[in-house]
Amino acid sequence: MATQQVHARSLGTLDEKTCVLSAKGITKVRGNFPVLSGVDLTVKPGEITALIGPSGAGKTTLLKALSLLEAPDSGELAIDDLKYRFPLNKKEKIAPPWPRVTVVFQQLFLWPHLTLRQNIMMPLGENAEGSEYLEHLFERFQMKPFIDRFPNQASLGQRQRTALVRAMALNPKYILLDEITSSLDVEQVALILSEIRTLRDQGVGILLITHLLHFAREAADSVVFLEGGRVVEAGGREVLTSPKEERVKSFLAMAEFAS
Amino acid sequence: MSVFEIFSQYGDALLSGLFESLKLAAIVWSVGLAVGTLCGILGAKFPKLFGYPLAGTAFVLSGVPVLVFLFWLHYPMQAMLNVVIDPFITASVTLAIVNVFAVSEIVRGVLRDFPDQYIVAAQVCGITKVKTITHIQLPLILRQILPGLLTTQVAMLQATLFASLISVDEIFRTAQRINASIYKPVEIYTSLGVLFLAVCLPLNGVALWLRSKYTRDLSER
Repeated sequence: MATQQVHARSLGTLDEKTCVLSAKGITKVRGNFPVLSGVDLTVKPGEITALIGPSGAGKTTLLKALSLLEAPDSGELAIDDLKYRFPLNKKEKIAPPWPRVTVVFQQLFLWPHLTLRQNIMMPLGENAEGSEYLEHLFERFQMKPFIDRFPNQASLGQRQRTALVRAMALNPKYILLDEITSSLDVEQVALILSEIRTLRDQGVGILLITHLLHFAREAADSVVFLEGGRVVEAGGREVLTSPKEERVKSFLAMAEFAS
Repeated sequence: MSVFEIFSQYGDALLSGLFESLKLAAIVWSVGLAVGTLCGILGAKFPKLFGYPLAGTAFVLSGVPVLVFLFWLHYPMQAMLNVVIDPFITASVTLAIVNVFAVSEIVRGVLRDFPDQYIVAAQVCGITKVKTITHIQLPLILRQILPGLLTTQVAMLQATLFASLISVDEIFRTAQRINASIYKPVEIYTSLGVLFLAVCLPLNGVALWLRSKYTRDLSER
């Protein structure tokens, strides 16, 4: 109960009518190769959107475009009241959306000279030391036995949990997760599933890139299938159970077979 | 005559030579570290304007022995320009140039190869640019730079001995002069070795300590 109160206080109130992360007609070209071709996607507060597709589909590039780490070549992006239209004028400076929108990358990107605790504390400042919410996260993710280790002294699973907790501690409104369960055992996957559902229930919008179909099925409220930089099919959870597009059907069948 | 007697009789002369060597080293270190770091930063930030010219010059310079460079600046160049420059200044300039390029290449390389991922992580966490530099980039860069920088600076101290060959009254030349008058090469050069050990060993010790303290293996497994 105390935990719930801490969450609610730290997140503030969300006006769901005005809050949305939406991309329209996003394109990105690398060299001569189009990586994204007119992608439309919406991440709503309090919803988990699963982004699935084969390797090289452009999922991570889309995630970078949505978080403005790599500006799209064209298209429109809206993050609540922040509106962006691409291409940007040369002199135009854009207001970065971080940490309102934050990202957990597959490669984690923990700072190697800091302990796992310091990695989490660094963006928050010293005032956050001993905060109830942080203590809850450390407890929930069973991090206390290794929290004072350096990244290279921790296992991949421990680093993965640290990267997720670092993002969660920022109280983002949108969190973009790139294959965050790739190195976790089944118990940890279940724990993360439970935590991201909690985040969703608190009004956070979540974009989840995953290759684990059962994880996507359990977590997602909406699903986007991306291939060749294009959205092949998008819809509710039924995209994973009864897709309309043949390509999605065959991909899911292969994925089921492989798992 | 023992090494101890050499120290007791010629201690003042040797210490004066050592002081000259350390003065030369201090100039070479300070100019090399300050200008070299600045050049390294400029080289990493503006590769075409500074980086490639710096790398090219450092590459050429690395193929010229320090002694040849020193002699060239002392004899042919001064003859060509018809000037006479104090050998101490010539030695300072020569070794400082060598140190500037050595330091700039170390700094430039580390800055150029700094993984962007750590900056991206700071961005998405909403960390300010200043805090990213002071709390993430600088500590990581210093850890990378430190070992190479310290080794180079100890090598520069030892390279000050070359200054004796253009008549700078540093410690090696002092030892040579004492030897010319009493001809006790074993004792004199042993004394010189002891003096150098007394200076270099603590420096190497500090380098080792800094290395072990700040350059912990950061690679992930």
